[in-house]
Amino acid sequence: MNTQDKVKINKLPTGVPGLDEIVGGGLPEFSFNIIAGAPGSGKTTLAHQFVFANATPERPALYFTVLGESAIKMLRYQQQYTFFDPAMLPGSIRFINLSQVVLEKDLGAVLEEITKEVEKDNPAVVVVDSFRTMVRKPQSDMDLQSFIQRLALFLASWQATTFLIGEYAEDELRDNPIFTVADGLFWLRQTAERNSIVRKLQVIKLRGQDSVPGLHTFRITEAGVQAFARTFGLTARKRNPPSDRRLSFGIAELDKMLGGGVREGDSVLVAGSSGTGKSVLATQFIAEGIRQGEPGIVAVFEERPQAYAERASSLGLDLETPQKDGKLTILYLRPLDLSVDETMHSILDAVQKIGAKRLVIDSLAGFEMALSPGFRADFRESLYRMIFALTGIGVTILSTVEVDESFTEFTFSTYSVSFLTDDIIRLRYVSIDGQLRKIMVVIKMRGGNHAKDIREYEITSKGVVILGKRLANYQGLISGIPVHSDRPDQTQEPSLDTGIEHTT
Amino acid sequence: MTAAPGMRDLAHRLLVYEADAGKASEQLESATLRVYEKLRHCLGEFVGVAGFQSLASRALTLSRPEVPSLSAARVAADGSLEGLGDIETQFDMGKPSAADGEIILIARLLGLLRLFLGEALTLSLLRSTWPGEAFEDRNSLHGRKV
Repeated sequence: MNTQDKVKINKLPTGVPGLDEIVGGGLPEFSFNIIAGAPGSGKTTLAHQFVFANATPERPALYFTVLGESAIKMLRYQQQYTFFDPAMLPGSIRFINLSQVVLEKDLGAVLEEITKEVEKDNPAVVVVDSFRTMVRKPQSDMDLQSFIQRLALFLASWQATTFLIGEYAEDELRDNPIFTVADGLFWLRQTAERNSIVRKLQVIKLRGQDSVPGLHTFRITEAGVQAFARTFGLTARKRNPPSDRRLSFGIAELDKMLGGGVREGDSVLVAGSSGTGKSVLATQFIAEGIRQGEPGIVAVFEERPQAYAERASSLGLDLETPQKDGKLTILYLRPLDLSVDETMHSILDAVQKIGAKRLVIDSLAGFEMALSPGFRADFRESLYRMIFALTGIGVTILSTVEVDESFTEFTFSTYSVSFLTDDIIRLRYVSIDGQLRKIMVVIKMRGGNHAKDIREYEITSKGVVILGKRLANYQGLISGIPVHSDRPDQTQEPSLDTGIEHTT
Repeated sequence: MTAAPGMRDLAHRLLVYEADAGKASEQLESATLRVYEKLRHCLGEFVGVAGFQSLASRALTLSRPEVPSLSAARVAADGSLEGLGDIETQFDMGKPSAADGEIILIARLLGLLRLFLGEALTLSLLRSTWPGEAFEDRNSLHGRKV
């Protein structure tokens, strides 16, 4: 059968930011769906968002309430959300209470009541909240199965997209006939991780179209449910082809060490212990980008944007003006209960808003601390997805990471994230001639030559300044305790290696 | 605590509208009962019979201190209003003071709706039951627009 012969399934907007991406573009029209989850997981709110996004006076939504939360209280609370439009009630959205018929009669009467209302109003959307309480009386399996089959058949025939809401436990998935009949099954989870609440959504089943598998973080805000797809909303976007363009740090000597600068679309890791100038380097990188007309984002976790800008100002770098001009966004991401997906959402919003080309994450340690404890276990995996997604759209990322200074080892990252990065710049202290001085070395550059030189640098009022030539008269510099060599000074211009990558 | 002036105005307008409609159709039922029954139908659909019965009982209880003659009235299990007795006088739009008891009961019910649902949603629901002209400021007690 060719494409033209296939029936076209219209996709309805879910009304939930991020959820359309997860379900493959929208919810299939006329589908029969279950929203399951524990109390307080956001089931009713999600259903309301769908209803408000799709109901019209011509094709209204019928919202059947049964036992449980009373409609008057439900409306009292739901109208606090920004998506709630009271003018849509009751013309486009009708709430119908079925408590009495459920309490006094059998499932046949319930079906009859729903049928009567549907035939009268010709709704586009039907919600039963909660379906679990509707079938609360002991029923034989056959009665229940027959009821569900007839309900699903009737509502689909009447061209209604349906949501049944229920407080189900996951171990019911195998035996409950409702899950067999359903075209779509959405499971909302809410768990406490230490002192944080983590909400996740899973599309367990969705007939007719591809959905994004896995658990997706969601949050309930004043705008209702907001989902954060694991794909970061980038599935529809093609990856940019690799670029040969080099981005400058605004530090000529460092650019030389990098073979002309950082390759556009790379992920750069700047690793060093406290006070080695990681943030200074990152600030110079972003400031140079702005100077060259490349908007930037700085995601800070350990200090407020104002403090970050003030520190840049002390280095002679103006971050206030580009913020006012829409060329720079300093994101302070609310600490302690973030998911990487939420962080990504904020960053992507900012990237798209100002067309950012450079992104600084300062620092990975702060980022990890800002996450809810439940997400920290997945930090590396999440970071991989985030970096892959962002570099794929041409954003060059510079992340800083603090490493424990050791005078016997030369680690690149305590997070073992160096495999995620294309380029690594290592900063460290070194003891020379009775002074604690700083050295810098480019450890790796994927797909390009870089200098092998170990260079001394200082942090001055102009930022990072690389001093003199390479430190040729010392051995064991990377140990932090070098030994002076008696060899004659062979210092030359920074040399580039032949592209050999160091093991990281 | 007395019924809020805004709700009294609204109740008055609905009663005036129903009094006019009653005269036109020569219905014997009082304007108060017609307003009450329309509210019962409109609200009962989405809050259920028990839900409406609870709201109406509360409204009646709140009204009694202002209108002692309502002491004989009660809300039945199906939400209908019984035993209005003397208070169930024919609403006369020319004599607003005589109709205070009727207005207060309806005003209390509307006040509860506004308390729980807010003004916008309450008016949305009422507008689905009464035509726009029922809300016009034809003969309100305080001359306020709804």
